[in-house]
Amino acid sequence: MDVIKELKGELGEKVLTEPEDIYAYVTDASNVLRQVPLAVVRAYSTEDVSKVLRIANETSTPVVVRGGGTSLTGASVPVKGGILLDVTPMDGIEVNVDDGWVMAEAGATVAKVDQECRKYGYFFPPDPASSRYATIGAALAENAGGLRGAKYGVMKNWVLSLEVVIPGGEVLRIGKPLYKWRWGPDLISLFIGSEGTLGVITKAWLRIYPLPEKVVRILGLFNSLEDAGRAIFEIRRSGILPTMLELLDDESVNIVREQSGLDIPETEAMIIVDVDGPKEAVWRLANQVTEIIGRNGGKAEASDDPEEMKRLYAVRQGIYAAVTRTYKGVLIEDVVFPVSKLVEALREIKKIKEKYGLPMPTFGHAGDGNLHPNICYDPDDPEQVKKAEEMFREVALLAIRMGGSLSGEHGIGLTKKELLVEELKSVNSLGYLKLVKEIKRVLDPKGIMNPGKLYP
Amino acid sequence: MVVPPVVLMASENTEREGDVLGLGPKERVRWAKGLDLPRGPVNGTIFYAGEVYPIMGYAEGAFRMMSRLKLDLNSMAKVAPLFKKLGIYRVVARASWSSLNSRYEKALKDAVYVLKKLDVKFGYLYEDEPPSGIALHTYGLLEDFKRYASEVAAKFRELGVSKIITLDPIAATAFKHYYPVFTEFNVKVEHFVQVVARRMAETGAKASLRRKVRVTYHDPCYLARVMGVVDEVRYVLSRLDGVELIEPERHGVNTGCSGDGGLELTQPELARKVSYERVKELAETGASLTLTSCPACIMMLRVGFDDLSIKMDVLDLASLVAEAFRNRLEFEGPQEVSFKEYKVLPDTLRWDLSNLGERLREYTDLCKKCGFCNAVCPTAQALDRLESRSARGRMTLINALVRGEPLSSEKVLDRLYSCVLCGSCSQTCPVGLHVQEIIVYGRAYAIMTGRV
Ligand SMILES: Cc1cc2nc3c(=O)[nH]c(=O)nc-3n(C[C@H](O)[C@H](O)[C@H](O)COP(=O)(O)OP(=O)(O)OC[C@H]3O[C@@H](n4cnc5c(N)ncnc54)[C@H](O)[C@@H]3O)c2cc1C
Ligand code: SF4
Ligand code: SF4
Repeated sequence: MDVIKELKGELGEKVLTEPEDIYAYVTDASNVLRQVPLAVVRAYSTEDVSKVLRIANETSTPVVVRGGGTSLTGASVPVKGGILLDVTPMDGIEVNVDDGWVMAEAGATVAKVDQECRKYGYFFPPDPASSRYATIGAALAENAGGLRGAKYGVMKNWVLSLEVVIPGGEVLRIGKPLYKWRWGPDLISLFIGSEGTLGVITKAWLRIYPLPEKVVRILGLFNSLEDAGRAIFEIRRSGILPTMLELLDDESVNIVREQSGLDIPETEAMIIVDVDGPKEAVWRLANQVTEIIGRNGGKAEASDDPEEMKRLYAVRQGIYAAVTRTYKGVLIEDVVFPVSKLVEALREIKKIKEKYGLPMPTFGHAGDGNLHPNICYDPDDPEQVKKAEEMFREVALLAIRMGGSLSGEHGIGLTKKELLVEELKSVNSLGYLKLVKEIKRVLDPKGIMNPGKLYP
Repeated sequence: MVVPPVVLMASENTEREGDVLGLGPKERVRWAKGLDLPRGPVNGTIFYAGEVYPIMGYAEGAFRMMSRLKLDLNSMAKVAPLFKKLGIYRVVARASWSSLNSRYEKALKDAVYVLKKLDVKFGYLYEDEPPSGIALHTYGLLEDFKRYASEVAAKFRELGVSKIITLDPIAATAFKHYYPVFTEFNVKVEHFVQVVARRMAETGAKASLRRKVRVTYHDPCYLARVMGVVDEVRYVLSRLDGVELIEPERHGVNTGCSGDGGLELTQPELARKVSYERVKELAETGASLTLTSCPACIMMLRVGFDDLSIKMDVLDLASLVAEAFRNRLEFEGPQEVSFKEYKVLPDTLRWDLSNLGERLREYTDLCKKCGFCNAVCPTAQALDRLESRSARGRMTLINALVRGEPLSSEKVLDRLYSCVLCGSCSQTCPVGLHVQEIIVYGRAYAIMTGRV
């Protein structure tokens, strides 16, 4: 059976095969591996997705689902060729304020979902930095998080119900858009973080949250990374629960200063804290944060004025641009540490940097222990490439050793498959992998879904 | 040849007659009849009409007729070499000419009227006015553009032109940003609204309309994003009594594209789709009149409003200012105002055409595939985020082409021609890549190395 003929017969012009179209899908934001798919299918509905998974299953053709293609781990690169299933045209959104949810089709961007909710005085809290182009389906498949994670958690905390299509084309509903329902074991979680290896998420019903009355932003500058780490720990312990708690090391701050020309004071570490809540209470919390910063040797500045808040956030806002403008090659690490061990972790990360001698500006969502050391290198220098890869591995192993994890939000994809085994070993749980693979076999007996990813 | 027949035609017409329709200089100076503008520069200064305003009525007529008859320019040009010889557009344009041109001609007349009222001194070159040849740049015929630009530069020198005031932001961009890259060029260029705002501030000019009108303003990409001219427009409108300005969601340097940028000629159906997003946004302001400052934007907005059956008039800013000036104009004395020159795009790329491949490889290799550009790319949005016709996708395709992947230059060029050159991508790219200009150079590369 000729796959392309079958696909075209069922889906007509939604099937792209011209090299000048399909070549555009060769890679994702990991931007290392390139592979041209056999064909790209642009899905406009669940029915389209179902047709593709039926034909692919019948012909044992690999299928890689793709949303915005902003994965940083190679998760959406069609490494085995096959069909690239582009779900971005499926982008319907429906907000139901009365019942407290938003329904989003797979291809709707995370930012658009949030925007729609805001029209009704609500918002959708998970906010990956890529939210303007990253899609809901993929954010669920990657269990994405964001800046507001310190208080509001990650994607999985917001799902009420899913519609998924599994290999063979069957359409399943998991749960209902209710805040409570019981159907036995929770299969929603099975698809969270599955990275397109089990099936295609076509629709999601997600919880929404009332917009906070007021937000105050606090900027803290420290003379040492350790002081900053202690302040973070203390803020967390005080029971304040900030919306956002970001940390940037000196190298990050310096890079932004150099690139942007902004007037940013010299500092060893910077933290940016947002607290939100009712008007009457929020400044009390902000003052508490300011005190903690002072107690730990830092200098604090706070504001609730939108323009000022923007200014306080400028360094964090500019960091990705500054790093990518300064260095040609960047490997973005995504490790997690127990918050109680952040100070020690930061010290160890610095040692790794000194050992290899490559720049590694480190910043991240310290409020939930999630750090992004950015390993910078010259991709045209084989020695630096090798060093960068070793650093990448060493940082991940450090996290594992310290009771943390190799990935907080970017996922496993291609780049962290082997490291996942190390993490499982560290908790004596290779059986986990075995079980997951068995589950995969049940859902996807022919192994068509995103082959080569996630499972070592 | 890998360029599509319409582009071939547009460029041949531009080279031969000075405008994409091939109407020629006689047609292009008609608007100035009876105005008694001094021939030649005055103190080195000219009012420059350019090759777009004077032919826009024909273009709009042709655009509407072609789509009404479901005619495809490319295939017509292919099967009718004779038509092509005659300049197919010219034929269609003439046949479909109606009162449409008066709107565009009037904008030029109104601009001249306003400038005179503000005591600005200038002359006009009539048939001697050299067209900017911007179409050659737009379509990536950069070798031709380079030659053409140096001829124009020489002509300005010969005629003693040292300053240009123009209503056409496309020509202004050409002279200000592209000419200096391709040739010796030191003529000063200002857009009409810059001159008007400055003179109004110097004199405290204040005017009022006879009517009260709620307007919205569509910032043209070339004027706002590329030239950084935003404040001037707001100031001028604030000095017109009877005008209430309601900004659309995307405005100023963050404006949205109305679907021109050359796309209206190469891929008119896509151009239309792009315009829909924009006209909906403009209609949402509740205004009854849309103002703008670009002839191609006027046409695409008019088409878009009509297609969606939205009742909305579209007028050149110059025409509303003239209307107010004609009604009542007073001078209150110097005003304290300053206009910011916004810079939101990376510096113009100054690339040598002899090693385009290397440059393109180097720059497209820097693309991180983050997709930020796609989030603001109007053609990506209009095509449900089709990657090959999105900003990021075009970067990927250019990279593949220069790497020597087995792609057809002609078909890659088709993807590159689907871009409206709005510059939103360049404004957004965290790496600071001037995606929009890279696409123009990509077009040039595809043409110069053409594999079919
Ligand atoms: C600049 C930048 C900043 C980033 N910041 C963050 C951040 O702050 N937090 C964070 O968590 N991530 C971040 N990321 C990573 C990435 O954006 C997220 O993983 C995002 O969720 C991916 O969305 P996408 O639509 O682009 O997915 P894609 O790259 O298209 O796909 C990612 C994976 O999901 C699978 N998939 C896609 N759609 C579906 C579907 N409908 N059903 C099942 N599987 C599917 C794909 O097969 C693939 O395995 C960032 C990336 C970049 C480039
Ligand atoms: S690629 Fe850039 S210039 Fe072209 S349409 Fe998209 S955003 Fe505009
Ligand atoms: S924004 Fe810049 S780096 Fe990101 S995909 Fe677009 S061109 Fe590439």
